[in-house]
Amino acid sequence: MTASSVPSIVLRGVTRTYGAGSPDEVRALRGVDLAIPPGETLSIEGPSGCGKTSLLNLLGLLDRPTAGDVLWDDAPVGSKGERERARLRLERVGFIFQRFYLLPTLTTRENVELPMRAAGVPRDERLKRSRELVAEVGLAGRERAFPHQLSGGEEQRVAVARALANEPGLLLADEPTGELDSTNTDAILELLRSVQQRRSATLVLVTHNPVVARRARRHVTMHDGTIERDVREA
Amino acid sequence: MTRWGFGRGLRHSRLQSILAVAAIAAAVALPVVLVGVGGGVSAHELDQIQTAGYQIVVSASGTHGISNAHSVARAIEGVGQVTAASPILSVAIDAFVGSGGAQPVLAEGVIPDEFSPTLGPTESGLFPDPLPLGDPTDSVHYANGSYSGPASLDVLVSTPYVAEFGVTVGDHLLLGPDANRSQAVSYNVTGTFGVPLNLLGPTGAFAILLPLSDLQVLSGYATGPNASVPDAADTVEVAVASSIAANPGAIDRVESQVQALYPYYGVSALSQEAQQLEAASSVLTGFYLALSSVGITVGLLFLALVLLRRVEADRRSIGIRRALGLPGSSIAGGILRDGFLLAGAGALVGVAAGIVLVDALASWSSGAVQEAAQLAVFSPTFLAALCAGVLLLSLLASGVATRAALRIEITEALR
Repeated sequence: MTASSVPSIVLRGVTRTYGAGSPDEVRALRGVDLAIPPGETLSIEGPSGCGKTSLLNLLGLLDRPTAGDVLWDDAPVGSKGERERARLRLERVGFIFQRFYLLPTLTTRENVELPMRAAGVPRDERLKRSRELVAEVGLAGRERAFPHQLSGGEEQRVAVARALANEPGLLLADEPTGELDSTNTDAILELLRSVQQRRSATLVLVTHNPVVARRARRHVTMHDGTIERDVREA
Repeated sequence: MTRWGFGRGLRHSRLQSILAVAAIAAAVALPVVLVGVGGGVSAHELDQIQTAGYQIVVSASGTHGISNAHSVARAIEGVGQVTAASPILSVAIDAFVGSGGAQPVLAEGVIPDEFSPTLGPTESGLFPDPLPLGDPTDSVHYANGSYSGPASLDVLVSTPYVAEFGVTVGDHLLLGPDANRSQAVSYNVTGTFGVPLNLLGPTGAFAILLPLSDLQVLSGYATGPNASVPDAADTVEVAVASSIAANPGAIDRVESQVQALYPYYGVSALSQEAQQLEAASSVLTGFYLALSSVGITVGLLFLALVLLRRVEADRRSIGIRRALGLPGSSIAGGILRDGFLLAGAGALVGVAAGIVLVDALASWSSGAVQEAAQLAVFSPTFLAALCAGVLLLSLLASGVATRAALRIEITEALR
């Protein structure tokens, strides 16, 4: 499988409202404008409930905006059908979640293989790549372990390997070290940095941890559903 | 839900899987038993009718309602294509073995030369040929419309009777119209005939066979020489030429001619009875299937509930798979496979359980239930169709769960 292209992403006036019209209505995003060129490392920071995860979900096509446009390579993707959005997620996006979200009934290798299987990668290539990825994240020899047999740090490494399975152009990490100790935090961040550099992929890190945010060259700070600051390091 | 998660998912919810299989198995076992036993009994009865040596039955309402049996039989034999007409009188009388008390026994009076041609292939092997009952035409005792000649005093006894009372050929058997030994007449046991229980049933097991006129006199229809009493019989069994024996239309024409001779007696062709039996059997089978469909519906509703519960329990896993970009067809395929496996296992277990249950009834129960179970027939076509039907219907149950799975919001499932 060849590496997928790295998308140029633009959000134009994006609003996301949950429970619109109900007494519990929540306006998570309020007219957000954001442009992410290919290959950038970006952190999205801010207090809890400011809309970081909602923004990440829209970037990764897990959710649809209530208003506004999400453009990939100048093409709107927010309104595409679920089948097309699923294909884009499968082939071009790698997700890393705070709580790892490995499938408990699959082994390490099977978790890593899963996106490749869905993408129709031939079995031999799948096996070869999953072995390489597991080794790349430092888990060689643990291929047959189930998630409950792994430590938190190991689980997140598997999640990183799974996110890289289809060689995506866009890596989205939502509090990737939120449940890890400082040693594992450093290891995972270093892993993400080296992967991002090697593959020239776009990396978006959602975090409220300054240590994590420092790894990015661009810092977007959110407050109450809007972008409060957008700073690029020189 | 890829192939991997699938089998392991079932193992992880083992109790639910077992309960779902058990519910479907119970639902499938019911029609297997009902249709197997019901169909077997019907098929046996149909076979009895179709393999009988006679094709037409003449009968009359009331006890021994055919009052001129010998002449009726002779007249019927005059109809074209009729090869034999056998009048039969069935009476419960008493038998005395040795110095013992009276034992009720079913006595059948027949004319030997007329009776033998009306035996079908199943029955003919059970009787001696020719029947050793003295006068083959029954005309010595009953001649010219009166009971004037000597009775043959010969009797055949059934093999169960022989086994129970130790009677052997050459013995004497006292037969009387009631339990009063002084009215009993001594008969010579000249032979035996086999009576499998499943052929005539328990009431036919203790049976004896003697010449028609002997039984008529013995049972009180005639008293003494030259008695002028009804020449009674229950039925006249009519055999037709073998060339038309398998032709219902031709048999119906013969039946019409017999009916025209005796419009006041009931005349029916066994082919009509067979058709009626087949129609009744079809109605019964339909009823069994309708009854069973209720059970199968309940079983499949249970399957749908189990699959829905599993979707709810796997909500996060489904959300993860969808977030990763796995297509909905992959998730739906996993649920359909789960449903198919559970329904298939339930169907197979149900078929096996139904067959084992019927076998157990045939071996360990008693009376009519046991006899019916012994006749059960399991049609591979029916069993295959039943399993296929359950599998097809499981698609509906799986479809409900699939719909629920595909409606899960990814972002909510990952919260």
